[in-house]
Amino acid sequence: MDRETFLSELRDRLAGLSPEDREERLTFYREMIDDRMEDGLSETEAVAGIGSVDDVVAQIAAETPLMRLVKERVRPKKSRKAWEIVLLALGSPVWFPLLIAAFAVLLALYLVLWAVVLSLWAAALSLAVGAVGCLPLAVLYFVRGLPAGGCFILGAGLVLAGLAIPLGAGCAGLTKGLARLTGRLLLGLKTRFVRKEAAV
Amino acid sequence: MDAQLKRGFLDVCVLAAIQDGDSYGYQIIKDMKPYLELSESTLYTILKRLETAGLLTVRTAEHNGRLRKYYSITGPGLARITEFKEEWREMLTLYRFIAREEEPRG
Repeated sequence: MDRETFLSELRDRLAGLSPEDREERLTFYREMIDDRMEDGLSETEAVAGIGSVDDVVAQIAAETPLMRLVKERVRPKKSRKAWEIVLLALGSPVWFPLLIAAFAVLLALYLVLWAVVLSLWAAALSLAVGAVGCLPLAVLYFVRGLPAGGCFILGAGLVLAGLAIPLGAGCAGLTKGLARLTGRLLLGLKTRFVRKEAAV
Repeated sequence: MDAQLKRGFLDVCVLAAIQDGDSYGYQIIKDMKPYLELSESTLYTILKRLETAGLLTVRTAEHNGRLRKYYSITGPGLARITEFKEEWREMLTLYRFIAREEEPRG
């Protein structure tokens, strides 16, 4: 890919950033490519050294705070027509609650996921506490000269421990997976904001 | 490594790359290459952050018929490096204590 193609593709893909921010970044990448070429690389090699447009966009998305991207997106690019403003204002009792409701539903779904994980953790913890609790109780039975009862309680404790350990391991995996999913969702959301197709 | 900690490290690395004289983007990346593979996007973000914090200044100068941005360290930038070194001297003392505990006793 040559320098101009790379930069113009990047410009299209960074349509979600403010014009000043976008042009400053493009100037920076242009300088980088020129410096690489001055260092003896061919134009293609110099462009390839920067990385693919996809990679660059993803990295910029990862490093830009979400709120800034949202603000940039919400800011109207050109002044709206009078009838659009009237319609937006008149419609606001309808679309505003709907927007809030949609957001609340998504947030609730996300929280429910965490709630499930939390309840599983609680179950694992209670099993573990039960298992540990069985130990002194069994000792007590043995000391009092009730070996049958002691064996039963010891067995029950082992069953509880046997349930608690895999459940706890599963919970840890689930927590890690959900945390990773959260990160990926956030990055996906940000990438969408940065990418905003030029046609919009 | 913790993201916050890494960010602080990278900031000081870039400051250190310009502490002996003005430098430009590609030169900074080349200077850091033996120690750290720094991408252009990351460098851009760091430079922007350091500029906003007043730790470096930027000027544009002509070079071979095109424009290039040069970065110079400021007084607060130099102070940040000194501060970082002092912090890490303490950290190293603690590290030696921790590492010593790992060795077998006796």
